[in-house]
Amino acid sequence: MTSIGLPHFLIVGAALFALGMITVVTRRNAVGILMGVELILNAANVNFIAFNHYVEGPGKVTGQVFSIFVIVLAAAEAAVGLAIVLAIYQTFRTIDVQETDTLRQ
Amino acid sequence: MASSNLRAYLVRLAVLLAGLFLLAGAGLLHRFAQLPTALTLLAQYLGMVGILWGLNAFFFRRVPLTGVVLFVFSGAAFGVLFFLGFFLQEIVGPWLIDSAGRFIGLVRLTDLIFYAFALMTVLGAAGCAFSGNIIYSAWSLLFAFMGVAGLYVFLGADFPAVAQVLIYVGGILVLILFAIMLTKQIGEDPKLTNAHLALPVGGALGAVTVGTLSYMAVMAPWKVVAAPSYQPVSAALGVAFLTDYLLPFEVVSVVLLAALVGAVVIARKEIKETSDQPI
Repeated sequence: MTSIGLPHFLIVGAALFALGMITVVTRRNAVGILMGVELILNAANVNFIAFNHYVEGPGKVTGQVFSIFVIVLAAAEAAVGLAIVLAIYQTFRTIDVQETDTLRQ
Repeated sequence: MASSNLRAYLVRLAVLLAGLFLLAGAGLLHRFAQLPTALTLLAQYLGMVGILWGLNAFFFRRVPLTGVVLFVFSGAAFGVLFFLGFFLQEIVGPWLIDSAGRFIGLVRLTDLIFYAFALMTVLGAAGCAFSGNIIYSAWSLLFAFMGVAGLYVFLGADFPAVAQVLIYVGGILVLILFAIMLTKQIGEDPKLTNAHLALPVGGALGAVTVGTLSYMAVMAPWKVVAAPSYQPVSAALGVAFLTDYLLPFEVVSVVLLAALVGAVVIARKEIKETSDQPI
């Protein structure tokens, strides 16, 4: 058995990305789709930090800087996205994305 | 009749307990006080007789064990038990200890911790993807986020790990739960069924994705550094934000402000309308 290395983390990231994509593709609940997007962003972050650790080397933090930016943008995306979901629920009384396919009522 | 029946039961129960005590006590005495083997075997046989006679009051009452049958049957049962004990102690036990030792020699603790975190992450994400109830999806997202934070710690990224816990678990997950609860009336079915075709198609898509990405991750010749460091990174991160990444840093703060104001503006209408409505 070999020790834990870069491929292990990349495989975890790949699994996270695939599961997030499945969530985005199959959910009809708008909040569920947002949760899938969060999973995909987390997968990207895992890859960023794994590359920072194993490829970029000691003393360099570029990958972590990018991961922080991703976390910040994910927070902004969640706030705006969920506000939009609430507004959609206000208008249509449902958040099923197969029924809310127009921009106005 | 009932009281004598009860007394008979109690006698049987007492004999059963005495037999158990004799069996275990003789074994312990043999083990720790060097009771002679023949005496031990005799005591345990007698204990077995007592146990079977006591048990006969509760099980297999249509076949009463009395006289010679009881003693022969006890001998047979004792032989079987003796063989089983011998087998467990002399053959299975050493094999178990041996294989456990080899397993511990093979696996390192850090690897086990990594696999625990990876399993937590992937299972949480799978729960989010496949759970029928959106509330359960949100809660399994918690495990996925915490597992990812653990992976960050594993990668020597302390600041992103803490930021992950604070922002994802403390902020985004709470927002998601609020959104779920605000978009559901009580009593409404929280499940939102997926189309019949969605899960097979999505599963196939996910399998292809994870297969391709894993193949690439294993096969690509990454230029891995020899000795990755596990030093704290917060100071270097702060310096990087205020020197090399100053412009993105400022831009992202403006983006956050805009998102904050935008979210309030978009969601505010709802609060007004509901508060105006008479309940």
